[in-house]
Amino acid sequence: MPLPSSTPLRALALAGMAVTAALIANTFASPARRLAWVGSSVPPSIAAPGVEKIPPPVTGSGQPIVPEPKDGHPIHPGHLPPSRMTASPAPAAAPAPETPPSSPIRDISAEEAWRAFQSGTPFLDARRSSEFAEGHIASAWSTPVWESDLDDRLLSFKAARRPGSEDPIVIYCSGGDCRDSHLLAEKLLGEGYFHLLIFHDGYPAWVAQGRPVEKGRP
Amino acid sequence: MRPRLWQWLLHPKLTMAVRIALGLVFIAAALPKIGDPPGFAKAIWAYQLVPGPALNPMALVLPWLELFCGLALCLGIWIRAAAAWVAMMLLAFGFALSINLARHHPVDCGCFGGAAQKTMAEQFADMRWSLLRDAGLLLLAGQVLLASGLKARSVGQVE
Repeated sequence: MPLPSSTPLRALALAGMAVTAALIANTFASPARRLAWVGSSVPPSIAAPGVEKIPPPVTGSGQPIVPEPKDGHPIHPGHLPPSRMTASPAPAAAPAPETPPSSPIRDISAEEAWRAFQSGTPFLDARRSSEFAEGHIASAWSTPVWESDLDDRLLSFKAARRPGSEDPIVIYCSGGDCRDSHLLAEKLLGEGYFHLLIFHDGYPAWVAQGRPVEKGRP
Repeated sequence: MRPRLWQWLLHPKLTMAVRIALGLVFIAAALPKIGDPPGFAKAIWAYQLVPGPALNPMALVLPWLELFCGLALCLGIWIRAAAAWVAMMLLAFGFALSINLARHHPVDCGCFGGAAQKTMAEQFADMRWSLLRDAGLLLLAGQVLLASGLKARSVGQVE
């Protein structure tokens, strides 16, 4: 086979070699290091990382606090549709609103995560499986949102726990500007789960508070 | 004076040193990414510039392209083609980084594999350094392209 002689042909040949090598390498990679060529596990709608929504303040009962009204209108927590935002001004002093207009995906504090842990709510770890192996919240499920076997792992979680669409599921990653738990929450929302709690401060906060952790592979 | 500076800039020994250095940088950048395509896909996704369907193919192919171009530069084969790819990749990366700096959106470079958790200020500082490094590497790629172009022309004249 004659070698390509002109620069554009050689550049094309380099690209072809790269595609071939990527095809071969990806075929033989372990599931944690493999990527699907088509159909990313990442949901199409993505909130920009770094642009954080302020998590709504929460009470001990897990219901959002309605902050003190400004200009006569109560401030509702985030994630509300516009129609709800302009809803009639609920009395701020009302004792425990019956149906909190909370969205299917909600940020929770470390305290609330701890209470959920004590009540046996399942925890999903959205970080990479290598990070999970280094340490994770005790009895959490490894569901690395960027890895190719995410669907299999989610399936085994569902098969074992049989979560109903209204059952709470806590999702966490590594805190800070980590978006993996949000990506996983959007994916699960698309699969029909409507009570997704994002433990925003994630694993570092859990460790800092001395909560139970485990090591090793799932 | 100018032709002399020119001669010095395009000296064969300097060109060889530059292309080997550039090649080594690209090999070093490629290896961690080849080892962890999902991590690189996440890094590209963070730039918020690549549409979803292109994300995974890009994360899979780009590191290998970097590796082959780096190897070609180090070994001295297909220098012009490899340097052209390298320059294109550097331009694209610089462009992506500039856009995110301009819209004040912190991203991890993703250049040499995964990064540790950083504060936003540290990330912006890192992005500026990356941009500077990118410009420096682009100069090196330009030198290699220019020198190999002159060589090709002189060879053409001899023939």
